[in-house]
Amino acid sequence: MSDQSDETEGLSYEAAREELVAVVAQLEAGGTSLEESLALWERGEKLARVCQGWLDGARKRLDAAIEADGD
Amino acid sequence: MPSLRDTTLESPAPVRAVANALAAYIDRLGVIWVEGQVAQLSRRQGLATVFLTLRDPVADLSISVTCSRALFDGLNPPVVEGASIVIQAKPSFYATRGTLSLQARDIRTVGLGELLARIERRRQLLAAEGLFAAELKRRLPFLPHTVGLVTAPGSDAERDVVENARRRWPSVEVRVAAARMQGRDSAVEVIEALGRLDRDPEVDVIVIARGGGSVEDLLPFSDEALVRAVHRARTPVVSAIGHEADQPLLDLVADVRASTPTDAARRVVPDVAEETQRVASARDRMRTVLTGWVEREQHRLDAIRSRPAMADPRTLVDARIDELHALRDRARRTLRHRLDRASDDVRHHAARAAALSPLATLRRGYAVLQDPDGHVLTSVAGLAEGDPVSVRVADGRLHATTTRTEAATPLVEPEEEDTHE
Repeated sequence: MSDQSDETEGLSYEAAREELVAVVAQLEAGGTSLEESLALWERGEKLARVCQGWLDGARKRLDAAIEADGD
Repeated sequence: MPSLRDTTLESPAPVRAVANALAAYIDRLGVIWVEGQVAQLSRRQGLATVFLTLRDPVADLSISVTCSRALFDGLNPPVVEGASIVIQAKPSFYATRGTLSLQARDIRTVGLGELLARIERRRQLLAAEGLFAAELKRRLPFLPHTVGLVTAPGSDAERDVVENARRRWPSVEVRVAAARMQGRDSAVEVIEALGRLDRDPEVDVIVIARGGGSVEDLLPFSDEALVRAVHRARTPVVSAIGHEADQPLLDLVADVRASTPTDAARRVVPDVAEETQRVASARDRMRTVLTGWVEREQHRLDAIRSRPAMADPRTLVDARIDELHALRDRARRTLRHRLDRASDDVRHHAARAAALSPLATLRRGYAVLQDPDGHVLTSVAGLAEGDPVSVRVADGRLHATTTRTEAATPLVEPEEEDTHE
């Protein structure tokens, strides 16, 4: 399974989300070894955090722009 | 008569000779049709001839014309100053005063139909030359630095353009170049004003504005020289002449045709209120799109994260744990089963071993004789006096040396050879 290095940081939102969907599908399909399942799950968690990071960032920039416009 | 060309300082030609020669030359021109605009007109009482000056519609040239009062008075519609006329005349040289004038034999005022026909011909000519080509039309600057305005000073047209432009964009600057917008020298003045504004680097759009008027009034704005001047102009030109219906040639050559001076103001200057509103609504639309996008993606991400595989990884491990327990139980069962069998087996062998074990025999008083190498001695043969032997009794071992050996009769032989049960 992909290693845990920080290469997920460079992922775009779409890429991260797409891989997350794949990871979940694989987990649900089963048939992976315990070791793989754990690795997959950790990978999923990391990807989810990356996606959430992107969304929070977007919302923050959006709010900043709107608020900057407000005053 | 010597030819005038041979005159020299010493033998000059008299005035009469020169006059006659000139008269001859001019007579050779014969009768011609001439088009022009009536500049001055003098019709004095009691004089048989009427004098008028005919001006070229474009160039700043004019020539005097004489015609008989009868001819002049008979004209219908009557000829007035500023009217365009076509005359059939014979250029003639009045020797007595050394002046040249056209003796008019026939005068035709250029009627409205004729005027329009003439303009139409000119339009086709200029169109053929490509002066009205669509691809030549330049886009007006969205927000001009300075608006050049060619119009009659103090006219309604000027007020309409300036006021409307200011109302739409208060900080706009309008530079007016005054020009007569009607009558004889109008075209020339408009061309001159247009040139001034065109050369001005700050002016980046020029409006030529004039209120409504008759065909004659608007004639200067179909003037060929003006049309060519507008065609040559580097700055975009907006034509705002007369009413909606009027269509002087200027409209065709201009980059933009405005129906009225007010419309011209609307076209050259954006409305600040309108623009701010448009920018605001664009910004709002962008925001809603973006917030909508973030919301939707957030929901999708939440959905994915709430899937059991992600939200509750224990399900993964639980399944494995159950599996593990099941396996462990099975393992235990099989193990216990095997152990039981094994213990039976051992007991069985132990019993057998016990049965075979010489211990009971030793306990009954028997002993096992062994040589130093541990071999069991079953016969006295081979033993000699002083040989060390060891004797295994029930509870231990004796070490002895042979003092004497003695043969003895064997005990009773059992029927079969092997060991008994």
